[in-house]
Amino acid sequence: MIAAPETTAWYVYGVVDASAKIGADQLRLIGEGPLAAVVSEVPLSEFGEEELAQRLNDRAWLEEHARAHEDVLQRLAAVAAVVPFRFGAIYRELDDVSVLLRERRGELSAALERVRGRIELGVKAWADRDRFEAALGDALPEPSSGRAYLERRRTEHERAGRVGAQLGDIARDAHARLLRHAVEGVANRPHPRELTGRDEAMILNGAYLVADGDEALAGEAAALDAEHGARGIAFEVTGPWPPHNFVEPRDEV
Amino acid sequence: MSNFAQPPLEEQVTLLELVDRVLNKGVVLTGDIMLSVADVDLVYVGLRVLLASVGTLDRLQSEATA
Repeated sequence: MIAAPETTAWYVYGVVDASAKIGADQLRLIGEGPLAAVVSEVPLSEFGEEELAQRLNDRAWLEEHARAHEDVLQRLAAVAAVVPFRFGAIYRELDDVSVLLRERRGELSAALERVRGRIELGVKAWADRDRFEAALGDALPEPSSGRAYLERRRTEHERAGRVGAQLGDIARDAHARLLRHAVEGVANRPHPRELTGRDEAMILNGAYLVADGDEALAGEAAALDAEHGARGIAFEVTGPWPPHNFVEPRDEV
Repeated sequence: MSNFAQPPLEEQVTLLELVDRVLNKGVVLTGDIMLSVADVDLVYVGLRVLLASVGTLDRLQSEATA
């Protein structure tokens, strides 16, 4: 089969070296010069323009397919250097995939070299605000009058601002320390509780590119966790991930 | 692959991590592509359901139009 029948299209997961051996039945390598795109055939009944618009409103569908996208990239990353694409890159024709590889060869080749032999680790820091405030120790006086009540309200307000500033300092300091053990790193905006579903506040949402096999960054995260644990701040490491955070052209990051 | 003392990766792939990586990062295609989440607002309709967070949504939309 050369071209997809009209009921299907081509979903692009990412780009690898043309010489990469990926050994996966459901995936195809579309080579063009030194690069190859990893694609699979997907039904237009789900991935057509209008159909996908509907599916994207379906949280379960979106999560399932985002997970499948990640699963393919993880299997690729285990055997080859890979430049991950964002979810939802779909072409009607394989020829268009070849054109993509030709037209963006410079950028994609540079991205491939940037991540070769490296992995991405995630570090998130979570703050239990109550524990953190308690650890600060300066208990507020009980109000004994209306005036004292207003005083206390003002004190609480100032204190909340101070706590927020301190948590920000801790997150910035942690990111700087983690960067010293990384080739590159980025502190993405922390997510709100509505998205995390956790009681603790996310104060650091970092991603770091490190040499495969280099455990120094994970060690630093563990040290941070040990230092700040008693104050209610936990550091969690995830990965290794495919290098999602380190393949966009740098001036756009 | 490195062998960190961490849970297996499949257990780490929470919805949050998918948002941080698969949906929010990676090479973005535009142009002749039939569909790309980067140049189609539709995905933000889906993400509205997914994220249920006005602040996050605003950020995604401002990134998309940046």
